[in-house]
Amino acid sequence: MSCSNYDWKAYALGELDANDRRQAEAHAAACSECREELAGLRLTLAALSTLREEEPPRRIAFVSDKVFEPRWWQAFLKPSFAGALVIALAILVHAFARPAMDQKQIETVVARAVADTQQRYAKQLETVLANYEEIQKQDRLVYARNTGLVHE
Amino acid sequence: MIFREVEDRDLIAKAKGGDVEAYNLLVSRWERRIFSYLFRVVSNREDAMDLSQDVFLKAYQNLTKLDDPGRFSAWLFRIAHNEAFSMLRKRRPESEMAEPIQRDRGPAMLPMELSLAVESALKRLSEDQREAVLLKVYQGFKFEEMAEVLGCPVSTAKSRLYTALELLKTTLAPSLLRGEA
Repeated sequence: MSCSNYDWKAYALGELDANDRRQAEAHAAACSECREELAGLRLTLAALSTLREEEPPRRIAFVSDKVFEPRWWQAFLKPSFAGALVIALAILVHAFARPAMDQKQIETVVARAVADTQQRYAKQLETVLANYEEIQKQDRLVYARNTGLVHE
Repeated sequence: MIFREVEDRDLIAKAKGGDVEAYNLLVSRWERRIFSYLFRVVSNREDAMDLSQDVFLKAYQNLTKLDDPGRFSAWLFRIAHNEAFSMLRKRRPESEMAEPIQRDRGPAMLPMELSLAVESALKRLSEDQREAVLLKVYQGFKFEEMAEVLGCPVSTAKSRLYTALELLKTTLAPSLLRGEA
């Protein structure tokens, strides 16, 4: 192949595939003109690489203002908002679905609750007294045995 | 590079959902490259800074239109290219009539002579040629990606780059070989 078939710029820029690269290298090994062309390109690229990247004079940063905030409907998609919305709806539905009590019904419910409580306390007291009597009975028996009034 | 792309993908997904912090992180990863590219295109530090901010604002506003996050870099540089050339087009009539502007060279580099020679050689290129060099040599884009950023066929992007390299070689290589950079 003649020299014009080789793309030395693509070679120097790393754009050739492995096969084209190998062919170009084999040609350059035997062609001083192409070697010179390649050396010139490499020097040029090496010179260009000395130019360092410019540092911005200040940092670029954005704050969360209206431009960046999610649109109003996107707020509904957030899990926390959706959860709070479900709970609020449940409370509202519950409040409206259940009929409100009138005063008489409230008094009846309260009276029933009071009666239940009194009955529970009475039962507890009865149990405590029964236990107390049993303990006293046992004590008297132990005392009689110890004093020899009762013989086993 | 692969990790960077994976992390970028993640940040892009979060930013699309309105996460500004994720977007700021993405900006911090790209601002230096974008600023540097814009600075070399427009040759003015303040203009490059203003353009960088516009680029990242536009990118955020249009992030939902980016279907393939893997193409984020080419897409971002395409925005930067459009912003830079839109500004250059608006200013061209003024600058053509005005005295040549003293261009901002930026901080000194080592070796000083070589970097000055490179800067000077880059400035002698046409805007299109210089941009092709910036995208290929400094940003490492493939020919296809360059064409995407520039909005032109691959053959055009390649032709601009090759002409630019030929001019740069003529200017820089002899000085280097003589050690006179």
